[in-house]
Amino acid sequence: MSELVLETEKLDKVYKLGGRQVRALSDVNIQVKKGDFISIMGPSGSGKTTLLNMLGCLDKPTYGKVILDGVNITKVPEKGLFKIRKYKVGFVFQTFNLMPYLNAIENVELPMEGTKKSGDEKRKRARELLKLVGLSEREEHRQHRLSAGEQQRVAIARALANNPAIILADEPTGNLDSKTGHEIIRLLGKLNIDQGTTIVVVTHDSLIASRAGRMLFLNDGKLLAKEKQGTHLLKRELTCPNCGREIQLDDTFCPRCGKKL
Amino acid sequence: MYTKVNHLGVLTRAVRNVSRRKMRALLVIIALGFSMAIMISIPAGIVANQEATQGMTGNLASTISSMQEEVNETITLIEVSASSGQREFSSTPSGMPSNMSFGTPRSGFGQEEVFTNETVGDEIRTIEGVEDVVPFLEKSSNETTSETMSTPRGSFTISRSLYTITGVCLNSSFIENYSILPTNITAGVNLQEGDSGVLLMSSNLTDYYGVGVGYTVEIYGESFTIVGIYEPTSTEAREVYMNISDAQTVTGQVGNVSRFDVYAEDVSYVDDIAEVIKAAYSDLYVTTYEDRLATLDNMQEMYTQSLNNAESTIAQTQATATQEIIIAVAATSLIVLFVMLYTVRERTKEIGILKAIGFSNWNIMSQFMLEGILISIIAGVVGIAIGSIGAPILTSLLLPQVNLFSGSSGRFQLGFGSVNSGTTGSTTTTASLTPDLILLAFGAAILLGALGSLYPAWRASRTSPMEALRYE
Repeated sequence: MSELVLETEKLDKVYKLGGRQVRALSDVNIQVKKGDFISIMGPSGSGKTTLLNMLGCLDKPTYGKVILDGVNITKVPEKGLFKIRKYKVGFVFQTFNLMPYLNAIENVELPMEGTKKSGDEKRKRARELLKLVGLSEREEHRQHRLSAGEQQRVAIARALANNPAIILADEPTGNLDSKTGHEIIRLLGKLNIDQGTTIVVVTHDSLIASRAGRMLFLNDGKLLAKEKQGTHLLKRELTCPNCGREIQLDDTFCPRCGKKL
Repeated sequence: MYTKVNHLGVLTRAVRNVSRRKMRALLVIIALGFSMAIMISIPAGIVANQEATQGMTGNLASTISSMQEEVNETITLIEVSASSGQREFSSTPSGMPSNMSFGTPRSGFGQEEVFTNETVGDEIRTIEGVEDVVPFLEKSSNETTSETMSTPRGSFTISRSLYTITGVCLNSSFIENYSILPTNITAGVNLQEGDSGVLLMSSNLTDYYGVGVGYTVEIYGESFTIVGIYEPTSTEAREVYMNISDAQTVTGQVGNVSRFDVYAEDVSYVDDIAEVIKAAYSDLYVTTYEDRLATLDNMQEMYTQSLNNAESTIAQTQATATQEIIIAVAATSLIVLFVMLYTVRERTKEIGILKAIGFSNWNIMSQFMLEGILISIIAGVVGIAIGSIGAPILTSLLLPQVNLFSGSSGRFQLGFGSVNSGTTGSTTTTASLTPDLILLAFGAAILLGALGSLYPAWRASRTSPMEALRYE
């Protein structure tokens, strides 16, 4: 029985919009185990981002609680939340959100600012992470010299910087073409397998969602009872779906059978 | 191989952020720089102002005290002159408006030079109570010079005689008892009894001609040898002293004199002697110590007035300066405030991202405050640069001019750039930045930068990360 990394209990979120109450989330109960790769799917406006913001301490629920890595974060005072965001959560955004005035490696180092790591340690860690996402050659490049996919890889490396308990990805492939989108989801899958990183991806793209291990569905702020098994399995992920032989993460074409992946 | 890595930190990011929008940063820094230049130039101007005012009133005070001494020393002296005006005090007040001159205008600003017969002196000698009668001949040189005078009403050129010839009766008892010759000899020797064909020249005149002791000069076509050089009490007084008979001969005034210094045996005789002379020689002008005392009183009154003027103008200047400094400080902080507010607004999304990846409110706040302070420090350097070049101009534009002699039609204005003391030469006082002021400017830059960016930075830190992330 693996331990729970993230757990929500009866999560409610009510917004007031011009005197009218809008219930964005209603009685959401999620359990994420260590090493899970979960996708939450739903149409736009279903409350996906609201949920993710609440899981990542960016917003507070109206009712219910969120327990992240053993800490009830709904009880943590505003002043202490930054520590949870810094050490327990790694965010990946749809729009990458890199700092335009920093190069790739500096962007990865950014979350480590204010930690106990020395400058050299930060640089070493950032370098490792960029290698992990396959961008060793792009360390010195700033945002405008990176492709969209590369930017998202930098963002993923940045999310991993402080070795968080969970990666929360909000439409990580939303601004990418489908091929790059699949590369990114494959990268997340690889991180999940190789590093044991716990990942929650929010998306409206069913194809992307299906690449996760577990698929949850959100509609009108409610989590649907149905839950699907995704295609995220070690063998399937790193073997060619056509010939069944081993492939590399970055491969676009199968090196054995030559078919497009 | 070891390569130097520039580690990322809050300062590195602040520097990069400031330099991200170069044009804006430049404009802001120039605006702030001017504001700071004003802030530091004004105190410099005030200091210069006070020093100059003190210098001038001090000058006046010392002039007055030496004049007082002179009046006391010459209590038995009755001056009998062929031309109007009073005896000129040897201590010519420097720093006085020229329309407050004392005594005969020696170098003759177009004034007619009048003479009287020297036998009058013998007659005066016979009056009861007269101890000595010392004759003088004063005549302008035939050499003239053109001078351009600048006044607040424009400049004009005048022609005036280059120097004054004073013929002195070189009687050893006169020389011994009365101060008839200059005393501050800087080279050579003074005139003495029996000297003829020689002269004593004021140093400004020897400088003008480029001559020294032993040189021969021509006066009214006659050759004279310079035996001594003296330092004149006023830079304006270019003079030549010689034996009175020589002076009479060369100027064609044989038997004539300009004035007599009549010395009474005792102060009690002075009034009677003056009365007798006035009655006998209605065309001569007689002055006693009482008249000189009256002049001195006038001077003192003027001095008091100028002190009052100085006090009130300094108070006025300081009030203006205080207002201007407050405005400059307010302007500086407001510029920082608005620029930083704009920056914070523009970078809302960035703030959201920073917060999402774990930056604390304090991290965000210090980041923006640091940027504000950084801009201010750069602006402070620019301000010091502008201030050190432009302080005199800035202060003369910003501070009221000091007018110590309100009656002298503004001729005697004390600007911050310079003290224009009319025809008596000018002293230059410059508002300059001292190391103290520069240090103060740096302090002010940091403080105002912090002050101006405090609210924007605080607002940035309070931004909700969720909302900030949605901001485009």
